[in-house]
Amino acid sequence: MGLLAAGIGAGIVALGAGIGIGMIGKGATESIARQPEASGDIRGAMILTAAFIEGVALLGAVICILLALGIGQ
Amino acid sequence: MIKTLRRVLLTIILLSVSTPNIFAADAASGDEPILDVMGTVADHDYVKVPGFINGGKIYLPRLILWSDSNGKTNFNAALSTKSFAEKTPFEVVDYALVAPEGGSIIIDFSITSHLIYFWLGMILAVWITVSMSNRYKKGVGREVEPQGAFQNIFEVLFVFIRDDVARSNIDDHKADKYVPYFFTVFMGIAFMNLFGLLPWAATATADLTVTATLAVITFFITQFSGTKDYWGHIFWFPGVPTWVRAILTPVEILGIFTKPFALAIRLFANMLSGKIMIIAILGLIFIFADIFGPVAGYGVSLFSVVLTVVLYALKVFVALLQAYIFTLLSAVFIGMAAEDHHHDEEHYNAEHAA
Repeated sequence: MGLLAAGIGAGIVALGAGIGIGMIGKGATESIARQPEASGDIRGAMILTAAFIEGVALLGAVICILLALGIGQ
Repeated sequence: MIKTLRRVLLTIILLSVSTPNIFAADAASGDEPILDVMGTVADHDYVKVPGFINGGKIYLPRLILWSDSNGKTNFNAALSTKSFAEKTPFEVVDYALVAPEGGSIIIDFSITSHLIYFWLGMILAVWITVSMSNRYKKGVGREVEPQGAFQNIFEVLFVFIRDDVARSNIDDHKADKYVPYFFTVFMGIAFMNLFGLLPWAATATADLTVTATLAVITFFITQFSGTKDYWGHIFWFPGVPTWVRAILTPVEILGIFTKPFALAIRLFANMLSGKIMIIAILGLIFIFADIFGPVAGYGVSLFSVVLTVVLYALKVFVALLQAYIFTLLSAVFIGMAAEDHHHDEEHYNAEHAA
């Protein structure tokens, strides 16, 4: 059961993080295309926001690893 | 300079290629699993030395504070796990020290492989900053331009941390006193991450204790540089009805702790998952060879090795990126705490209307 839960959980985590980071990438490329001179600032903001999403996603990934290894049962 | 650097790099690459002990050494024996994934990311009581196929382990000293069955507290130290077990009633079970019956370990001060690489990363960071600052004191880089590739790289990195990380996130007159911390943490984490790419080395940042320690340092710096406004926003949020404060205050207090927690988890999980991914993909070769015979193993290795090379290139980038993100987020958190609010009108009016 732990393995099944970890697999499904990892899939959902990847789904959420993918949507989130994809939206950041979309926003960033669109704004760079509209205003190329601000690309440095936009890139900084993009990395920062992507890091926040990544943090939440990795929190889920850690829980999946714990489930798969059966730690805490 | 470049020539020596190239030679050193080549030696390092040769040494790391010649020791393919990415997996636990004794995988061949008996009913142990083919692949010991967690063993490669776990903390060990030895460090591996390049140049030996299966040996080349240097055992590290164990220092343990423990209590025996009578409740008496003891402190023992030995040069290795084996000699520790000989000197004390401890027993070695599955490479781990187990306390005698009725006793328990209170604190384990043992020096482990992750600790060694943590020290190595930090010592390198401190050594680079100190030796470079001596050069600038002598005038190289101030009166004349920086000399050599080494100092040029250093200067680019330092100016990047000072301008893009510290000064753009913290109020100008306060930013410069945090730069030494940011630069040391950046270099230290980058070195630890890059050491983790060597097949025989351990990734210190793939250990929650290491990243948590760094995050706790950021946490304390954040709290101690907090202004009156920072604490005011936590305990008595300005400009909202009083009943909302009953909800906001617990949330804000929780927020103090979740920020460094996320900081620690982010770095830890990134390095851990990167290492597990490499081992899993390389391990496919051996799993296939075990199930379908050696030919399938050779076939899969064509795919696995190419993918691993690509992943390694990605991991060099991720190693530097994670060091940057840790430093950047530390700067953002400290900047939020140390910010001087010039009591903007919104707040002021709301406060006085209520």
